Amino acid sequence: MIPLLRRSIAQGRYVLLAVLLLLFAFQLIIIAQAAEVERSNAFASVANLMPAFMQRGLGSRAMLLATFRGTVTFGYFHPVVCILVAILAMYFATEPAHEVEAGLVDLELARAVPRHRLITRSLLVAIAALAGATTMMALGTWAGARIFDTGGMAMPTLSLRVQLLANLFAVAACLAGFALMMATFSRRWSTSFTTVGVVAVLAYMVDFIAIGWPPMETIAWLSPFHYYPALSVVAGDAPTARNIGVLLAAGAAFVTTAYWQFQRRDV
Amino acid sequence: MSAAIDAAIQASGLTKYFGPVVGIEELSFEVGRGEIYGFLGANGAGKTTTIRLLLDLLRPSHGSASVLGRDCHRNSLEARRQIGYLPGDLPIYPDMTVHDYLTYLSALDGRPVDGGYLRHLLARFDVSDVDRRRRLREQSHGMKQKIGIIQALMAKPPVVILDEPTAGLDPLMVQAFRETLADLKREGKTTVFLSSHVLTEVESTCDRIGLVRGGRMVATSTIEEIRRNARRRVTVTFGDGHPQEVTEVTGPLGPLLASFNGRIVHDISVEPFRLEDYIAQFYGGGVR
Repeated sequence: MIPLLRRSIAQGRYVLLAVLLLLFAFQLIIIAQAAEVERSNAFASVANLMPAFMQRGLGSRAMLLATFRGTVTFGYFHPVVCILVAILAMYFATEPAHEVEAGLVDLELARAVPRHRLITRSLLVAIAALAGATTMMALGTWAGARIFDTGGMAMPTLSLRVQLLANLFAVAACLAGFALMMATFSRRWSTSFTTVGVVAVLAYMVDFIAIGWPPMETIAWLSPFHYYPALSVVAGDAPTARNIGVLLAAGAAFVTTAYWQFQRRDV
Repeated sequence: MSAAIDAAIQASGLTKYFGPVVGIEELSFEVGRGEIYGFLGANGAGKTTTIRLLLDLLRPSHGSASVLGRDCHRNSLEARRQIGYLPGDLPIYPDMTVHDYLTYLSALDGRPVDGGYLRHLLARFDVSDVDRRRRLREQSHGMKQKIGIIQALMAKPPVVILDEPTAGLDPLMVQAFRETLADLKREGKTTVFLSSHVLTEVESTCDRIGLVRGGRMVATSTIEEIRRNARRRVTVTFGDGHPQEVTEVTGPLGPLLASFNGRIVHDISVEPFRLEDYIAQFYGGGVR
């Protein structure tokens, strides 16, 4: 298993490094901006800039974003962050499809390597990459708070940050499970990556549109992002443990399907 | 001891359908221990499909195969532990050096690699230390093929499966490959299953061949039997002014020579045995 893990990480090291650095930098930037707005007492103006449909959909919670604390937490559910974390999950979890397409399975599985080991390897690397991503985000927040001197400002509590990161991790893990499953059904990496990418974007949009358009709520429960109600988490009224449980259970179902399919398929 | 136990590789009714397309159908054959077996056939005949079934990369529609008594599907891990494999189109990790590539592959299944034997193979296939430090993306096609052969042999597996092993090799390296097979044959511990289009190579290295056509085994025989039973064109020039006589002979030339009844033979030429003539008779219909 160790050689497979090392090879996977070596192969994806540039993508991993780039995404981790971007996530770290994003936290720094968002704290720098929040600190600047806080110092100039401009959060009231920020509240006025929020689109009406969001104010309607989010209600009083929308105002959380117009505070220093809320803006810092926005760094944990900003669309850019969600996209970066999803890319990381999808990149590593779709590796089995790449190996089939490139014929690398012929070398690996011609040896005494059990098939399930390739799935376990991709799962472990994807989970490790996501753990790295959330750790880098936490480090970015910590570093940002020191660099931009937020001493007198109301930083989100450690507990809140952990909840948001854990919830984000669970969303990404669910996507990783879905990507892994799609990879085991596909012979081409681009097919599985694109399919998962499109599904992830659609899922995000469905959840986002449901904020301002109630009919969409009927299918929003299918979106993994539905189980990451970040503003409710910030407000302290989200069933975070339940949401994480749903996401991890769905992810586990996808992973189980991936093991089953990879075991039975022709490679 | 039964044939099944003596056979290094055995296929019984092996069949693989890809939807409506026949990959191979009811393929049965045996390869004895220590034998060098040439697996021949035109493009799309089912050679690679058969090899991939032996390696459990494909799952049979029905039938079975075994390697050294281990079922290739049900006991696939144990079967694969006995095999060294060179794919027809060697997949590489472009960013890896040759050294890292070989180290990675040997670490994958934990089979020990004898350093001395590896150095011997590297030297025989003219892979220098400089080559070993270069990345695979920078290597020529021939060099990659040599690395492919080395990775298949380096753990000294009891069964070696080689798909088009000399594709892209220069004549010197083809000779090195033949010498390597000759060494393996002399030692008698390794069974080689070799798929190739290069009939001269098969003729010079293999003990026996199996010919697959349209997914079915159409002939299997030892090279010696084929040679013995081959029809050869004999051209006889007589010294007594009679016209040149051209005839086809199967088996020894003795009866033909006896039929000359003391006539003066000025010259006699026997067309050498060619495996392709034997193979060609199975492709008369032009079917794959």
